[in-house]
Amino acid sequence: MNSKERDSRWNTTWKFLLQVAALVIWATVFILATLSFSRLLEARNQTGQGQEIKLKALEKKDWSGSQVSPLHRIPLNDELNQKIIPAAPNSPPFSARYSCEPCHSYDTISQGTHFNYRQRPAVDRRTEPWFLVDEKAGVQLPISFQKDQGFWSPEELGLTDWKFVTLFGRNLNGGGPGEPAEENQTPDSRWNVSGKLEINCLGCHNRSPLQDHSEWVKQVMRENFRWAATATSGLGEVMGMASRLPSTWTIADGPNPDDHEWAVIPQVRYNQNFFDSKNNAVLDLPRPEDERCLTCHSVTRRQAKSRASVDRDVHLQSGLKCVDCHRHDLSHEMVRGFEGEKLSRSTLKSSDFTCAGCHLGEKPEKGGYGFAGRLGAPRPAHKGIPRVHFERLSCTVCHSGLLPEKQPQAIYTARANRLGIFGKAVWTSEFPLIVEPVFVREEDKKIYPERMTWPAFWAEMKGRELVPVDSGEILAAAPEVFNLKQDVARLLNSLLPLAGEGFYPAVVVSAYLFEPNVDGSLNVRLLEKTPLAGKNARDRFLLVQLKNGQVEPLLPEFDPEETPPGLEDKVLSALQNLKSLAGGREPVFLIGKYVYRMTEGYLDKAEKAGEPAPQPEIYWLEGEEYKPFLSAFQVRNLALLGSGPEILTEEQVSLALKKISELKPSQKFAYVGAGFVFSLDEAGKLQAKEHPAARAVSWPLAHNVRPAQQALGKNGCTDCHSPGSRFFFGKIEAVSALNTSHRAAALGADLMKTGQFFQFLFGFTFLVRPAFKLILAACVLVIGLLLLAVIIKVTGRASGISSDSTGPGNRS
Amino acid sequence: MIFGITSLVLIVALSLRLTFGRYLGRLPEDNRKITAENFKAYIKWIAGWKLSFLKLERWDRCLDHLVAWGKKNYPGWTAWVFYILSLCYVYLAFSGLIFAWLVPRGLYGYPLLLHVAAGALFAISLTIILFLKAREFLPDKLGLRAATQDKRGFWCPLLGKHLPRSYLAAVAFWVFAVSGFLLAASTLGSMLPYFNYPAQILFFNLHRWSALASVLAAILTLDVMIVD
Repeated sequence: MNSKERDSRWNTTWKFLLQVAALVIWATVFILATLSFSRLLEARNQTGQGQEIKLKALEKKDWSGSQVSPLHRIPLNDELNQKIIPAAPNSPPFSARYSCEPCHSYDTISQGTHFNYRQRPAVDRRTEPWFLVDEKAGVQLPISFQKDQGFWSPEELGLTDWKFVTLFGRNLNGGGPGEPAEENQTPDSRWNVSGKLEINCLGCHNRSPLQDHSEWVKQVMRENFRWAATATSGLGEVMGMASRLPSTWTIADGPNPDDHEWAVIPQVRYNQNFFDSKNNAVLDLPRPEDERCLTCHSVTRRQAKSRASVDRDVHLQSGLKCVDCHRHDLSHEMVRGFEGEKLSRSTLKSSDFTCAGCHLGEKPEKGGYGFAGRLGAPRPAHKGIPRVHFERLSCTVCHSGLLPEKQPQAIYTARANRLGIFGKAVWTSEFPLIVEPVFVREEDKKIYPERMTWPAFWAEMKGRELVPVDSGEILAAAPEVFNLKQDVARLLNSLLPLAGEGFYPAVVVSAYLFEPNVDGSLNVRLLEKTPLAGKNARDRFLLVQLKNGQVEPLLPEFDPEETPPGLEDKVLSALQNLKSLAGGREPVFLIGKYVYRMTEGYLDKAEKAGEPAPQPEIYWLEGEEYKPFLSAFQVRNLALLGSGPEILTEEQVSLALKKISELKPSQKFAYVGAGFVFSLDEAGKLQAKEHPAARAVSWPLAHNVRPAQQALGKNGCTDCHSPGSRFFFGKIEAVSALNTSHRAAALGADLMKTGQFFQFLFGFTFLVRPAFKLILAACVLVIGLLLLAVIIKVTGRASGISSDSTGPGNRS
Repeated sequence: MIFGITSLVLIVALSLRLTFGRYLGRLPEDNRKITAENFKAYIKWIAGWKLSFLKLERWDRCLDHLVAWGKKNYPGWTAWVFYILSLCYVYLAFSGLIFAWLVPRGLYGYPLLLHVAAGALFAISLTIILFLKAREFLPDKLGLRAATQDKRGFWCPLLGKHLPRSYLAAVAFWVFAVSGFLLAASTLGSMLPYFNYPAQILFFNLHRWSALASVLAAILTLDVMIVD
């Protein structure tokens, strides 16, 4: 093949390739043009009649730009959306749904954090549960809509919305379970009588000094759900109790003309000072005040003697309000402020309101300005703190909650222990028992300070599973077991005729004095010195009388031959009282060789067979046998319970389990408490075993934040790193309603998963660390000087300033 | 991540370069060239059973050599200082690097405790060694030593000529000394209550990068000073 042929071949190939390329380009252009044209035609056709027209969502701003909260001069509407005329007789209560809705979307707000418990964001972190408490049966069961280990959901416990609201409505803000859909209303409910528990907007926003949480609690307890917000706000007074009305009653039925005393329907008497001449309510509704938040979110150390002894959160002291950090927009999705929080409905950015958000500022590479000081927050230097602390600990470990002691301290929380409810009755409950601070390593490997409690409940054992049992069932099965204090209180009250003027009966058991209280139970006081000394002191008791701290023997010493005037009447009266509590036994009064007993309503004095009584005593006569006034069971268990927080003993639990097993022999029951499951073994003896359902439950705490000067580590590393550190070696022992030696216990290092021995060793190194630093500093100094000398020498030589003694031509 | 990759690459590269140089040194003068054949043979040599550290006797021989070298170069009690320095250094380097490469959290737990304790011994022994040996690596001494060395030395690409091996030894020594100083200073700095969080980060990075420099210098020292 010559060169011409080769060239012609190449030319042919190139031409062919160019043709193919042109064809491809044309084909592509054709396809694209056709597609665009067809889309254009399609779009034209869609604008015809019958086609769906969609509007782009408006970016609605719910704020005018003013920093001022407006005075609300608004008509109040009832639940039928009719304007309320306050002067009219039988005016209905106002409805937040229909009074606020014209300006603020009620449905949007109802999805907020405080109302929509069921649909919390999946990433929301654990928060304080609700507690089902039965102080008599020793029950404290954590309930939550959050699906976390140790929390029981209302569904699991069979708590309907109605039951949930009646149990916990005192701290519910309305909405959510308070407004169940028609299909969720169960037969046990009385929504038609009580009305719905609508969102109580004024509960947080009302600045009126008449806004009263205690009134809310009272109204909720009376099942006056639809009236509660009106009564609480002070806009009107509400009389009557829906709980007393028949379950068939509805608001349309109106008052009961036949009953003006008992089953009186709730009615509102509006305070017309809060209304203008056009019947519009005048309300001051700014951002919520701290008092409103603290109503449900107070936490107090139990040992605190008075409010004056408690420091508030440093942020509040600095002039901030709760809502400065815990903000929300119309969605009412609150910023909780923890790292990693993700808001699903709010337009706010949660990371702006974390500790770091204000104190460190957001880094420029993440879109922030990179400087701290938001809301006046000082920038922390954290001098000398290795960076591992910032990677492994949350800010709150060092800065929040109570300082660690040898053991975590018992606290009250407003929601769990019913704080902030004022009235004649004492609402604060000792249960549940919650402690803080406990430092726990969470799934994100970070350590958080937390509050902790141990579930306590009666359960049916279904294989390995524990199913909580209604405590009422247990109480009914063994009332004499659980009514220990009530029974003793009743007996003591029966002896009131024997007490001197102004005195009331009490009993000394072990080192304690038990006196009846207004709740029909016993108050306990520790004695400085007990009169019951010697052998078997724990099994004995002494009846005394009490007046303003003065304690005297209750039963008078007298000569039976010459009975003081009036005394026999007192004895008779006491025996009569006791007779009603005797239960088949006969109460008798013994003194010397005489016995006083009641025969046909009269006091009968007879000679006692056998040895004379060494001192006056009251006994129970059973057949021929004299039994002590208080049974051995009562004395033993009162001595065990003493003045501690417990309300049950192992003996009581054992007896209750036996009783319920006798009633239901096919089922097996247990009591969960103190971190163990207590059940009867085959020999009928109480045994304690571990079980996941008995394990401690904890949730992170964030407040109160202490000043930086009181942060852990302010005094140096040994605040935490020492062989006896309270941080790592504080003992966390289960607190429980049960007095038992079986208590789940762990050290701080266990919960932080850092290893006890390692922390001991690591803590020990801090004892020698000052010497270590000195040695290291000396080494650094010497090496540094040596290097400096070399640098000077080399520099001197290079510059000719210094001459080398060994170099050529150096010595002349 | 960057540190992990960089440190691994640099350590492997330096080790390969030095061992390859040693391999070439074993060849006749004419064959000392970078060729594919030589490289293949080098791989065979380095990965071969003869030099393998899987043999216990190899470790024994290395240890014997180190002990003997220590005795020879550090008279009397100073040999113990050298041994302590070596022992501590081996642990410090291994614990630091292994955790940096394999554990995202970095050094922690008991290995960290031991690391800190070994660090103190290292700092003390380094100070003593510097006192004893620094003068031998000063420029004026180097000139004399270089003049007496009959070996060809190493090729310096910057200067475009062969330099005596004693220069390389001096570089290794002073890099080791300076990085040791930075290691001790950064440890001390992070423990003092005067430096804030950014300074802590700086100390941390200073510590790990000077540790890398120190390891590279130690490998170089091993090659040019200790191993014949």
